[in-house]
Amino acid sequence: MNSLIGDAFRTLIPAVLLVIALSCSSSSRLEGHIYYRLNVNPSTLDPALITDVSGASIAAKLFNGLVKLNGDLEVIPDIAERWEVAKDGLKYRFFIRRGVTFHNGRKVNAMDFKFSFERVLNPKTRSPNTWVFDRVQGAKKFIEGKDREVSGFKIINDYAFEIILDRPFSPFLNMLTMTAAYVVPKEEVEREGYDFPSEPVGSGPFILKSWLPNRELLLKVNDRYFDRKPLIRGIVYRIIPEDLTAITEFELGNIDVIYLPASAYSTFKNDKSWSRNLISFKGLNTYYLGMNTSRPPFDNINLRRAISLAIDREKILRTLYEGRGRLAAGPVPDLLRKWEIKETLGYNPKEAKEIIKREGASGLKINMHVTADQEVVDLAEVVQSFLSEAGMNVNIKQLEWSAYKESINKGEPDMFWLSWWADYPDAENFLFPLFHSSNFGAAGNRTRYSNREVDLLIERGQHSINERERNSYYKRAEELIIRDTPWVFFWHRTDYLVRQPWIKDYTMYPIYTIDKGTEVGIKKGADH
Amino acid sequence: MKALPGDPVLNLIGERASPETIENIRKEIGADKGLAAQYMGYLGLLLRGNLGRSYYTNRDVLTDITLKFPNTLGLALAAMFIAVPAGILLGFMAAKRRGFIDKLIDTITISGLSVPVFWSAIIIMLIFSLKLRLFPPSGTGDIRFLILPAFVLSIPALASLARVTKTVIKDILTLPYIATAKAKGLSSLRVDIIHVFKNAIIPIVTIIGLDFGSYLNGAVVTETIFGWDGIGRFTMEGIIKRDYPVIMGCIIAGTVIFVIINLITDVIYHYLDPRIRLHGEEK
Repeated sequence: MNSLIGDAFRTLIPAVLLVIALSCSSSSRLEGHIYYRLNVNPSTLDPALITDVSGASIAAKLFNGLVKLNGDLEVIPDIAERWEVAKDGLKYRFFIRRGVTFHNGRKVNAMDFKFSFERVLNPKTRSPNTWVFDRVQGAKKFIEGKDREVSGFKIINDYAFEIILDRPFSPFLNMLTMTAAYVVPKEEVEREGYDFPSEPVGSGPFILKSWLPNRELLLKVNDRYFDRKPLIRGIVYRIIPEDLTAITEFELGNIDVIYLPASAYSTFKNDKSWSRNLISFKGLNTYYLGMNTSRPPFDNINLRRAISLAIDREKILRTLYEGRGRLAAGPVPDLLRKWEIKETLGYNPKEAKEIIKREGASGLKINMHVTADQEVVDLAEVVQSFLSEAGMNVNIKQLEWSAYKESINKGEPDMFWLSWWADYPDAENFLFPLFHSSNFGAAGNRTRYSNREVDLLIERGQHSINERERNSYYKRAEELIIRDTPWVFFWHRTDYLVRQPWIKDYTMYPIYTIDKGTEVGIKKGADH
Repeated sequence: MKALPGDPVLNLIGERASPETIENIRKEIGADKGLAAQYMGYLGLLLRGNLGRSYYTNRDVLTDITLKFPNTLGLALAAMFIAVPAGILLGFMAAKRRGFIDKLIDTITISGLSVPVFWSAIIIMLIFSLKLRLFPPSGTGDIRFLILPAFVLSIPALASLARVTKTVIKDILTLPYIATAKAKGLSSLRVDIIHVFKNAIIPIVTIIGLDFGSYLNGAVVTETIFGWDGIGRFTMEGIIKRDYPVIMGCIIAGTVIFVIINLITDVIYHYLDPRIRLHGEEK
């Protein structure tokens, strides 16, 4: 027996040493490349189909639209070098830059935009983003199969393209910065068919070289890019599902910039060597506790207001969330609100208790649905204790994401926790989908809030071409929504990233498509 | 599966889509048809050797499974490569030695069985990747990436093998033929190998077959923590997103693999113990 063990050890030790020697060999980083982490594999890189953040941020580096956003959230030229909007707000004429080419070498022209936009509306594409273009003249008929083309997409000549709307629609130019409005080459879409979402061809500053699903994506610089060229040679996105693993990779220098999960925030903030490299960015989002306003008990406005008064949001933000956010006054994020909100509901447990008693709701049982995410469950328990102090019994039900989404879209729970992130930087994006009565359920209005006056104000805002007038409509709509309290408005989250010391000029923008990867650089002589 | 709450279309559309768009997508992926029609359609695909395409990525499910299976196979083989010799050796030692060594091995095996994989995975990663910098913490690739996940995955198999080996061998050691062999004057090593081990092998092979079969169906937690691109993660993501073609494909592939492993195990039984017959020969 002893000799058996001895033999085993004699063979094992050299084997272990060999493996260790192998593993200590030099790091396999590609020179001049930036390494990012994704927590999930993007489902698709086909701009018509993208709905997720990781897909959108990669697509921004592979594709271009007519227009794009800058860091100040203003619409600036992309492939269109300039544009004209008719006085009636119905016609948008875009003048396309000459010499812009797709990755396959072909020149981009007006025809490509018509093809790409009609493709989004074509039912065969299965695009969830048809709403981006459904206000274009003739779009509805095209979707229903009554017309073979969309009359509102007009080719004036090779380098001029016109879009005609049914009615003036103020957020339209902003919406054209979304991934759904990126241009794709017809010949590649048709040639690749099912493979286009995983082998996309665009015109952007980077070209997708390889994509190993669930492992990594490799982007290389497009040397023929028409605009400012990237300072790096490429980008590697590594897909690492587990936060702790990703943090370990970052600490080992294998990832250059990482989004900090809540669990790691205080560790990095309190570490002197890392805190200098912390980057914060104010997100265009609103976190809220939604209440189903279509049935008892929360069809009662007084009870909804009582719920809002009963919860000390400021304290939760300061303690549980370690101050990672700005308290929300209403649904519209502070960065997009061009008006002031005077009246908000603060924390007043005494008044909350009185209202609940007066409305005969003491001891009432309420169902609250949340996702199984630990951070959310912790928060739900805090809310539960605030409401129990106010005299209401909250029953928390955790559901995994798919089941959760179905339940809130159907309006099953009395109360739910959710957030809304901007698709484009316009207050309208936080009013129309979330509070207009035509958008119940999956379209965004999950509290089933309905107020005729708010509907009208939002519609007027959408169709108004005068900015001041528009803002006054939105202001009034927001005030009414705050008064009606379909949500408890929690906060607008501020997120943190940490970068390696050798990374320079990395900026995180509130809209994921702003970063085209052309600004970030690697310091010379950096040893990593 | 379809009785579970959750709708793939709702996951496809993101946070905002009109009812018409939802209906259209439902129609395009065939989710608007009745359950029976959907099932028949799927059987039709299967007969043609097609597992369909993922609702989300539009990729061919069979291609994805064949891409990921070698990774899962590699991880399972590596885990078994560690677990089998170490587990049997530990079990052998525990059976033969009383006292301290026996107790130590018992402690190791019980912890190996009861410590959850996500905990041991994280601790092992922190020690070997972050502190000692010996192995990369995550990724799919050559042997450097394989060591840590294989080691973590081998722990429970190693522990259960050690326990089974110990119990079986302890029983065998009390049997009369062992005493006879020793009385014949055979060396201790010869008794161990020819008389003890050979008779203990059947239950050991059964455990190896079961563990190996289940590893080949993917090890979700290990694969997720170490970012290993295997069948387990693929299946789990399919389930979370209600990507029915992916879930069905993985279940079918998993069943086939399990049946094959069981068949191989049964055949091995015959060679290890000639009393077990392959054919229904004469009685």
